[in-house]
Amino acid sequence: MFRGKKAKLGLSLFSAGVVLLVGCSEKGSSTEGGEEGASIETIDIMTMSYTPEPPQNDSLVIKELEELTGKKMNMLFVPSTTYGDRFNVTLASGNLPHVMLGDKSPSYISAVRDGAFWDLTDYLDDYENLKINDIVKENVSIEGRVYGIPRARPLGRNAVVIRKDWLENLGMDMPETLEDFHEVLKAFTYDDPDGNGEDDTYGMAISEFEGPWDIMQTWFGAPNKWGFDESGELVPDFTTDEYREAIKWFNQIFEEGLINEDFAIMDPTQWTNPMVNEEVGLIVDVADTAGRMNKAMTDRDPELDDVLDVFGAVSGDHGLVTKPTTGYHSVFSVSKTSVKNEEELKEVLQFLNDLNSEEAQNLTINGIEGRHYEVEDGNLVSLVADDEKKRNEFQDLNQIQMYLPEEKFLKPEESELTKRSNVVMVQNEEIVLPDPAYPLVSKVYAQRGQQLDNIIGDARIQYIIGELDDAGFDEAVQTWMSSGGEDYVKEINELYKEAQSGSN
Amino acid sequence: MTRLKGEPALQAPVNVSPKRSRFQRILRDKWMYLLLLPGVIYFLLFKILPMWGVLLAFQNYSPFLGFWGSEWVGFEHFQRFFSDPDFVRLMRNTVILAIYDLIFFFPAPIILALLLNEVRISIYKRTIQTLVYVPHFMSWVIIASISYVFLTTSGGIINVLVERLTGSQISFLSHPDWFRPMIIAQIIWKESGWGTVIFLAALAGVSQEQYEAAIVDGAGRFRRMWHVTLPALRSTIVILLILRLGNFLDQGFQQIYLMTNSLNRDVADVFDTYVYFMGITQGAFSYSTAVGLFKAVVGIILIFGANHLAKRFGQGGIF
Repeated sequence: MFRGKKAKLGLSLFSAGVVLLVGCSEKGSSTEGGEEGASIETIDIMTMSYTPEPPQNDSLVIKELEELTGKKMNMLFVPSTTYGDRFNVTLASGNLPHVMLGDKSPSYISAVRDGAFWDLTDYLDDYENLKINDIVKENVSIEGRVYGIPRARPLGRNAVVIRKDWLENLGMDMPETLEDFHEVLKAFTYDDPDGNGEDDTYGMAISEFEGPWDIMQTWFGAPNKWGFDESGELVPDFTTDEYREAIKWFNQIFEEGLINEDFAIMDPTQWTNPMVNEEVGLIVDVADTAGRMNKAMTDRDPELDDVLDVFGAVSGDHGLVTKPTTGYHSVFSVSKTSVKNEEELKEVLQFLNDLNSEEAQNLTINGIEGRHYEVEDGNLVSLVADDEKKRNEFQDLNQIQMYLPEEKFLKPEESELTKRSNVVMVQNEEIVLPDPAYPLVSKVYAQRGQQLDNIIGDARIQYIIGELDDAGFDEAVQTWMSSGGEDYVKEINELYKEAQSGSN
Repeated sequence: MTRLKGEPALQAPVNVSPKRSRFQRILRDKWMYLLLLPGVIYFLLFKILPMWGVLLAFQNYSPFLGFWGSEWVGFEHFQRFFSDPDFVRLMRNTVILAIYDLIFFFPAPIILALLLNEVRISIYKRTIQTLVYVPHFMSWVIIASISYVFLTTSGGIINVLVERLTGSQISFLSHPDWFRPMIIAQIIWKESGWGTVIFLAALAGVSQEQYEAAIVDGAGRFRRMWHVTLPALRSTIVILLILRLGNFLDQGFQQIYLMTNSLNRDVADVFDTYVYFMGITQGAFSYSTAVGLFKAVVGIILIFGANHLAKRFGQGGIF
């Protein structure tokens, strides 16, 4: 802190001098290194926002963070739904902020290849709060190098949220196998689980978002995107028998009316509504959605507290497996055009490191003590639950938080449900099935990935609603292969072998 | 009516030397030229200047390397596009939609204008006119939402009606066969009213004497429409048709994008959405520029072709 303040003071004096001498100076742009090597005054950070009113640069919380890190912050919030587009447009403009959130999209990768971002691999170990878990490090890396600091997320986050009171009403146990799961879906649909005498419920809600299918098919033993065939070659998941078995079952539950008929066109933002409105009994999503859903349900009807439960997965013929998350949600990359030399890079890294300190984690997640929260028995008590305006002073600042090396912020006293979902997330880490090809960077995919994904994604949906039969799906696989998929498979196998021999 | 608005009405009679006269004319009409200036600047700044950007289509443009640092690849992107299996599908979808648009949407404002023209009660006519304009001012997002609410199979009012009448629902939103009719119906609903503006303006100029003469000759309402009203509209129709052909391959990106889902994507993908997916979502800037350039070239060919044809058939054309 001391260092930061001194640096800031030194900088402001220095830049004042420059302004006098030169007569003009761009905000935050670099000047020839001063005594302390401090040359970046303001750090521009581009990240996504999830609320309509993210904090402004004059927010009290940002002021506190600036105090803490010794850097001025210029936040560029972009709504999460259009972030990918804005990311590409920003890249195209060539005018990059110092720190920019990105994910491993083709355009990000080609930007990395062109040298748009700093290679951080050799620097991260110098910073206490920038140490990354090995699996995640491998996942974020491009050709073995790390170009961004990941925002950590639990690997075992995927889970099922279920109405346990409905199970009790029906005299059923928590499902453990796929057969149980199927029975539960049927009972939720046809056996009047809410006991109101009307046929107004169904088993599972699914939206246009294809995540639930991806998760459920791993329960059948289908690989997570890429698996190995008998000869040890990598093959895409949809060429396996397990995958076919899974989509056959999806088609069956669709025909039986156990899921919403309009899932293929349902807006993902509406996804949890049927659950909140007590029309549906379970949802396959991330475990922590349970807490949010519980809040929405109790807001509607206080009686509905304690009706939800969470479980990780159900077992099929291949035992208990589920799909992991990648362990991170996008990375913060440092631009080479705005951060010109190593000294500046170190400053930015120091800033990011400081953002992960306990104090900064609390500021970004909970706001300011006394204003936004209080501490009682080591637990957090929010003071702004009903004060949206004050909440807006810090909400969305969690989007600059990386939670490295771990979560250090204060949490409210955990409800049973939150405890359950945390337990499930930890348990899940034991059964997650990694995607062996995830760290590999394919050129074919960069060029044709979107079309390839669409071919199979659409075919799966059409198969589920019964518009494609097995022959039709085979044809889609053929189309996939002939539209560049064959080259993709070949390339992935070569890259994989290369990576394996490289690491041994 | 064969003479167009915008054609110079004033031909300054000059008998001084041409060089002097031009300067003098400019000096004399300086305020006119001043009025013209904003328009000229607009076109230079936003239409002509960005045109150098089409050069990206012949590069492997990388934003970080910049325009000068990027590699030149000639026609590689065009080759890739034309040999791409998607090309045929995109072409088919775009052309079919464009043809539907010409057949079903293009006549709609004309018919509507003719009908409105027959309405003699002024207040009634104006009310109707205003009402049919309104949808033009709604954004596609709203129209897509309205369509969704009306057509969804889970309680959409139209599907409830269909179910009462036929016993089963129709998945308008997700079935590929319904995609094109739905798109065209949306366009007709949104733009027909607005499209009548130009036709009604043209009709306002038709001399009442012609109608009176026709009545004296014993023409009924339909005959009057056929022999007086429609010929008065002919040149307007031709010009709008030529202009429309110039945009033949443009299928309003927003609308298609909003109505696309994984079940109808096969018929829904058009050049406009493809450019978006390749350029903005995938970051293939050069490739999508090449696709956009191809579309523009087709548009130019069509507009010149149609203009030429119009002239051969004795119509004015637009240039």
